[in-house]
Amino acid sequence: MSDRAARVWAWITAAHDGDTPVPVAALCHAAALRLGVDGASVTAMSGPVMREPVCASDELSARLEELQFTTGEGPGADDFRVGSPMLIAEMGSVVARWPGFVSAAMAAGAGAMFSFPLQAGAIKAGILTLYRALPGPMAAEELANGLVFADIALRLLLDASSGVIGFPGYRPLDGMSESRAEVHQATGMISVQLGVSLEEAFVRLRAHAFASNAALGDVAAEVVDRGLRFAPGAQPGQEP
Amino acid sequence: MAASVGERLAQTFVELADTLVVGFDLMEFLHTLTERSVELLGVDAAGLLLADGRGALRMVAASTEQARVAELFQIQNDEGPCVDCYRSGQVVSISDIGAADIAKRWPRFAPAASQMGFAGVHAIPMQLRDQVIGTLNLFRTAPDGLDSAAARAARALVDVATIGILQERAVRQQELVAEQLQAALHSRVMIEQAKGILAERHHVTPDQAFLMLRRYARNNNRPLTLLAADVIEGTADIVKSSSQVRTRQPPQGKAERPARP
Repeated sequence: MSDRAARVWAWITAAHDGDTPVPVAALCHAAALRLGVDGASVTAMSGPVMREPVCASDELSARLEELQFTTGEGPGADDFRVGSPMLIAEMGSVVARWPGFVSAAMAAGAGAMFSFPLQAGAIKAGILTLYRALPGPMAAEELANGLVFADIALRLLLDASSGVIGFPGYRPLDGMSESRAEVHQATGMISVQLGVSLEEAFVRLRAHAFASNAALGDVAAEVVDRGLRFAPGAQPGQEP
Repeated sequence: MAASVGERLAQTFVELADTLVVGFDLMEFLHTLTERSVELLGVDAAGLLLADGRGALRMVAASTEQARVAELFQIQNDEGPCVDCYRSGQVVSISDIGAADIAKRWPRFAPAASQMGFAGVHAIPMQLRDQVIGTLNLFRTAPDGLDSAAARAARALVDVATIGILQERAVRQQELVAEQLQAALHSRVMIEQAKGILAERHHVTPDQAFLMLRRYARNNNRPLTLLAADVIEGTADIVKSSSQVRTRQPPQGKAERPARP
């Protein structure tokens, strides 16, 4: 992992005690603690209208998520569509944009909100939302860490479905590998080979890498070079 | 008679400005930029790197496979002229990669670049005030530097590209820059995913898949990023060795993703 990814992952594992796989809740608590904000939540989404709260570090985070759901407004719904983070340093400046949501959120005590889509290209799994009572932008360093928190949250959500997060030595982010175009090309190829969504193809590729103890980028390069093919049926590390 | 470099440069600015207005597609814009850089500046290859907001560089466009490899090599090894250019915010111009002091400065990059056939590199920072958002890198196979007219033209192209990436003509905040760059990097990943789908479906390499994708996008005036989304959604399938495509979507407008089952 890159230094930053390793550091963020260490924060997340430190927020979790016990031998069970690191839950997304630990990520929310670590994010609230490390990103200069007062709370964090993760919501799984499978489309603009399908939202399912996964965890929240505090009551107000949970309340803000619920408000976005009930009003159909807010940064979460929008950045899920647009695919880039929505960084609102001053809630007061976006009243006109989301009148219903913003007035209620400010009354509840949110002065700034920052939300990050959990996304890799066309793969979208949800959203990480941070809030702070005091208005003001995120510091550059916190913003960089926030993007890595979102990268890890995406992989924790996806990997939970294949069970690999319980593997000894599990690491969600292999920084060097994931900058390789082959990882995303292989994901596209596997989705055709198995007739599944990109999300599932990405999960299967990752499960194969973990199960065979190989770097993700190396497995992906093998798929792109046609040395490895995924066939419908059981894969190592894959739940039936 | 061929148009002069000055005329062609002016045409390129018009072309790039046009793409900024209607149906803007950042990935197509950046690929066009690397291609025009090669045509206009007397270099042999060009590549473009963007900062990913997490402190790392990502390759987003390259005119040739060799340039792509040279860029990725630098990212993976964390050394080379493009990396130094990004860190310092200064132009890094190397006329002879084979020189002894260059081998000392970049012990891994220098021999690798020579082996790829490159002799000179000119890396220009893409800069918005004090923030470096990426670099445009020009590679030459002959060991001589960029002449001053070409270096100025390259600088102008980079400035246009920076505006293109940030879209908003008056970017006020660092937050907005982070938002725009993040969207650009996701577009890049989406195109890679679509390349994989086409490569598998049509038994071609990802590079050939990209050519198919791009040719179709151009012939049909469909932004590359939206076409990639169509391929992923299964609403468009580009047929090999022709520009035929089957599409069930209206050709214009924002791509709305239907909810997944």
